[in-house]
Amino acid sequence: MLASALLPPPLPPWDGIHPLIVHFPIALLLAAPLFVLLGFLPKVGRGFALAGLVLMALGTIGAYVAVETGEAGAELVTRTPEIAPVLQQHQNLADAVRVLFTILTVVWAVLLFGPALLKNKKLPPAVPVVAKTVFLVGYLLCAVLLANVGHLGGRLVHEYGVQAWFAK
Amino acid sequence: MRTSKRARVLAGTGMFLAVVLSAAVGLGQETRPARPEEKKEAGMATTLDNLMTAYNGESNAHARYVEFAKKADEEGYGQVASLFRAAARAEEIHAKTHGDVIKKLGGTPKADLKKPEVQSTRENLAAALQGETYERDTMYPDFMKQAKAEKNKDAMRAFNHALSAETEHAKLYKEALDNLASWKAGKKDFYVCPVCGYTVAKIDFEKCPVCSAPKDKYEKIN
Repeated sequence: MLASALLPPPLPPWDGIHPLIVHFPIALLLAAPLFVLLGFLPKVGRGFALAGLVLMALGTIGAYVAVETGEAGAELVTRTPEIAPVLQQHQNLADAVRVLFTILTVVWAVLLFGPALLKNKKLPPAVPVVAKTVFLVGYLLCAVLLANVGHLGGRLVHEYGVQAWFAK
Repeated sequence: MRTSKRARVLAGTGMFLAVVLSAAVGLGQETRPARPEEKKEAGMATTLDNLMTAYNGESNAHARYVEFAKKADEEGYGQVASLFRAAARAEEIHAKTHGDVIKKLGGTPKADLKKPEVQSTRENLAAALQGETYERDTMYPDFMKQAKAEKNKDAMRAFNHALSAETEHAKLYKEALDNLASWKAGKKDFYVCPVCGYTVAKIDFEKCPVCSAPKDKYEKIN
């Protein structure tokens, strides 16, 4: 019993690994805005802001892997009239969301490192704060889209019983 | 007295374990799906047999639709002819996909091509609709169940591609049949995915909804 529990489980194939991957980008990208918010704190904020960037970068990479594995897995899904539109919506939204989070990650990196690169040009002190606030609002809107991607995936699994090819 | 009680307990436990074990073994034997070679011996269709059947069906469907398209052109149903040509291309793609999986399993794809029975365009559409409906509702779902039981992912993918395309074909044939008079003028554009054979009259997606091939790979057929 103990010996078998210490063995690693079998790794699913590429077209069956989507359920294993997909929760990482959701968790990472939904946790990141908290760090962006803590990044507003004076003195200690910079560390949180950097942590937010790391979460965004990892989450975005995870989103690319999730979309690719999802597409591979979807080829094995029987498209009943009920499943097809939900699956289509899930795929389209996931595609859009990964692009949006790529843009957001780049923008956040620019907001963090941009001022340091513009040493000679002095920006009014309010500019970074306003820019970060606008960023946070935009991020939260994208987070809603991400939550909807997850919700549609949840419907496919729990409402329609769509299953990935599972390694046994 | 004490020893015999222990012996009775041991004997009882042993018997109980034996019953549980034999029941478990018996149940295991009953629920284990038959292996392909066992099915072959029992005269049941294996996934390889199903692939052969599907290959034969798709090859014949391709030949039939090519002839139906000629007939539709002769009768002045240009748009119906376009649809038959698009469906013929899709069936050709399915036959190739099934053939590739057959080869992967060590078989040789063979089709018994029959001379297509060509009637009027209306009757041809009705026959095509009947064929696609059978494939959509019965043939491919059964083949997929079998492929899943045999854990044959390549076959499952091939059958699923075909199932998705045949579902669209059935819809398009029904639409043509219901509005035959308005399917006369000129030709009509259809788009076929070169990977999975998915067939549509309008591309309103970025990637193929079935196999995720980019939309610019779609072949325009009219």
